[in-house]
Amino acid sequence: MNRKILALAPLLVFAFVCVFLYQGLFANPREIQTGRLGQEMPAFNLPDLMQDNKEWTNESLKGEVYLLNVWGTWCPTCLVELGYLTKLREQGVKIIGLYYVQGYDADFDGPFNMQSLRTEVTDMLQRAGDPYQFNILDLHRTLSLDLGVSGAPETFLVDKNGTILLHHTGDINPRVWRAKFAPIMQELK
Amino acid sequence: MKWFLLTLSLFVSMGAFAEQDRYQFDNNKQAILFEELTKELRCPKCQNQNIADSDAVVAKDLRDKVLVLVKEGKSKDEVIDYMIDRFGYFVHYDPPVTPATLVLWVLPVLIVIVGFGFIVIRQRKASVKQTWSSDDEMLLAKLIEQNKRQEQS
Repeated sequence: MNRKILALAPLLVFAFVCVFLYQGLFANPREIQTGRLGQEMPAFNLPDLMQDNKEWTNESLKGEVYLLNVWGTWCPTCLVELGYLTKLREQGVKIIGLYYVQGYDADFDGPFNMQSLRTEVTDMLQRAGDPYQFNILDLHRTLSLDLGVSGAPETFLVDKNGTILLHHTGDINPRVWRAKFAPIMQELK
Repeated sequence: MKWFLLTLSLFVSMGAFAEQDRYQFDNNKQAILFEELTKELRCPKCQNQNIADSDAVVAKDLRDKVLVLVKEGKSKDEVIDYMIDRFGYFVHYDPPVTPATLVLWVLPVLIVIVGFGFIVIRQRKASVKQTWSSDDEMLLAKLIEQNKRQEQS
């Protein structure tokens, strides 16, 4: 009896390793979740990207379910998802842009220039589609840091009370929308 | 000899790390804490680098934030908690013991215990006392005798 169990041991170990490695195939190390999940939107007070003298706060965003989409014109994946996000806007999804300025590296941007940034943004949104109700400018990436943003694109799903329900790193495409966002959106309706 | 040493010193100094020079600290304690923290905090973008090594924008932001917090007089744990609040446990290279990570601590200990247990059990089996009576002695003598006869015939 004892010997039989012992003979089965390698098989058991093999099965365990199989299960472990198999789930590894579908694990995405980039898929890291913000520590803010289930918490309220952190307090902020940031300017609008396109209008002078217009400011947005965490309080002024409350009242509606919205997606907060972190993006930048420097980010190729953001350009790719603009088309699908625009479709979502047409379906009635409220999308707010959080503009992530990749400012410190001279190779990317040079010194910050508001006017040229606005021109660039308008250009890109005209070409690829404009999914945004409005854009918040996070010049020093303070809100991004408070949200645990590691880069762009990233998207947060926030409910009426300002609670963060979902954090997605990477682009939003039909597959991601169906799997991650749609079920929660359905529940919120 | 003097020239040789001079040339040698040129090579030695090439490894110097200039990154820290850009940060100004109020005292040495802050500098040491900053260095410890930036080595222990993990870059969320370049995932196998700490924030001291990474050139990602987010790593630079985290370094700057660590600097501010350290200068405010925050302790090491307070800074780490601040980062974990935002980026999750991922951001620290020393994950806490939770049900999900328990296996990391338990498995190595378990393997060692099972391994040593296996060795001990084998040793015990091997060192079981042999019993040898005069009956056995007689049986053996008989068998040897039989064997001899077979060989002769």
